[in-house]
Amino acid sequence: MTGLVYKEWKQDRWLILSMLLCGAAPVLVLLLMHSEIADIGDAPIRIGGLLAGVFAAGALQMAVLRGDDRKLWAYWITASADGYRGYLRVRYETIFGMIVLFLFSVQLVDMGYCAVAADRGQDAVPISSIALLMCFVQILLRAVDIPFVYRFGSKKGSIIKMICMVTAAILLVASLILDPARLERIIETCRTTVNAQNGSLLLSVGLIVCLVMYYLSYRISCRLYLKGVEQYDH
Amino acid sequence: MTTKKEDAKRLGIYLLIVFLSMLLFVLFRRPMEASTTVYFIIFDLFSFSPAIASLITRAVTKEGFRDMELHLHLAGNIRWYLLAFALPMICFSVKFFLPIILTGHAGWLAGLTVQDVLSNVLTLAALSAVTSVGLIGEELGWRGYLNQKLEPLLGTVGTCLAGGIVWGLWHLPMDLVGCLNSGGTISEAFTICGGRMLALTFYGVFLMWLTKKTDSVFPAVIAHHVFNESQGALAALLSQCPIPEDADLGVIADVFAHLPMIVVAVLFMILLLRDGGSEALRPAR
Repeated sequence: MTGLVYKEWKQDRWLILSMLLCGAAPVLVLLLMHSEIADIGDAPIRIGGLLAGVFAAGALQMAVLRGDDRKLWAYWITASADGYRGYLRVRYETIFGMIVLFLFSVQLVDMGYCAVAADRGQDAVPISSIALLMCFVQILLRAVDIPFVYRFGSKKGSIIKMICMVTAAILLVASLILDPARLERIIETCRTTVNAQNGSLLLSVGLIVCLVMYYLSYRISCRLYLKGVEQYDH
Repeated sequence: MTTKKEDAKRLGIYLLIVFLSMLLFVLFRRPMEASTTVYFIIFDLFSFSPAIASLITRAVTKEGFRDMELHLHLAGNIRWYLLAFALPMICFSVKFFLPIILTGHAGWLAGLTVQDVLSNVLTLAALSAVTSVGLIGEELGWRGYLNQKLEPLLGTVGTCLAGGIVWGLWHLPMDLVGCLNSGGTISEAFTICGGRMLALTFYGVFLMWLTKKTDSVFPAVIAHHVFNESQGALAALLSQCPIPEDADLGVIADVFAHLPMIVVAVLFMILLLRDGGSEALRPAR
């Protein structure tokens, strides 16, 4: 296992460390759009920067998986002492670590910015809580992305994932168009389910669900890995 | 294999750097009072000083960067990760709620709903998975270095005692700054530091056991995070209850302030001693 972690670090250390830069995106965007602050305020620009950082971080997290979809490597790692399960575990841990590093960087930079703003007599709004929610969204997205990569390969996997999502969206829109009353029923159900009393509970359950989904994603990837290997290099 | 003399030398260098970092609060006291930015920088540097000290010591003494216990070692250890989350929660729940129930004031807790309790626990669990990483700045030093060097010199019990005292003393500058800035006195700061030292010495036994059992500092990082955050979460829950401002639960509250941690310390000390030295506890890899 140590060897796999070492390989991960040697191979992807720049991708891992780039999370620190992505976490600084809110302040970097603020510096780039300095002249706009007077018009729209610093908080919306920082939130925009945060979103840009989240997208960039997501792309870099998936870049870690680049090159995994090769038969020779897949058979070799399957035959190693840790097996493909150990290898996938290290991959999942690395990506989770990258998400955590991104959040740590965002929070550190945000606290630093708020401290500087306080010294200047300004009242900066912290965006760490938004970053925290974004972090859980990232965990959920990676939980969906990674099994597709291992089942179908990097390129094909992203296309199939896209087709699945577009199909699901089309089916959803079509069902709502065919039965407009359904949309109202859904909205009404949401309104009755989510209220001030159980809002925080649902949110906390949602956060746990993201973590559980990530673990389940690992188990699914383990199940699909050897099937996927057969399709690599085609 | 290193000799005790080498361990003592490395430990001396490590402790020197850690205690020198405490001087940051003295040297920068005035700028920290004047500027939030300086306070933020010094506070963060100080928070990471145990880890920085361990890295510097490893580099200076050329002992290398092995045995930093930075692997997650999740396989087979999930239950210990869950224990790292659950035990501090249970301890503080006992500390806060049991005296209220035992003194016949259970009615005060009527304001609590299952939803509130559940959402607090689940939020804390989710957050401890992603926001606890900052505490690696401490745990990499205390559990990942100090304990390893102390144990051959002082034995298991000595390590827990000395480690707890060092850990508690290290917090003294923060307590001093916090007290003085809020109009308190130096003696109050020392009282707070003393109480913290006691709690950390007890709790350190659990963290030491956890680190040895999993061969990783990460369960200790999570347990440390939950230790810090659960008190606030439970206090927030209690604030929803109709507890009178002048409520006094008497001696029972004083007893339960430390009893759960003492029980944890005794239990895990027995486990540490039963399992023998650190090598015996570490799973073969």
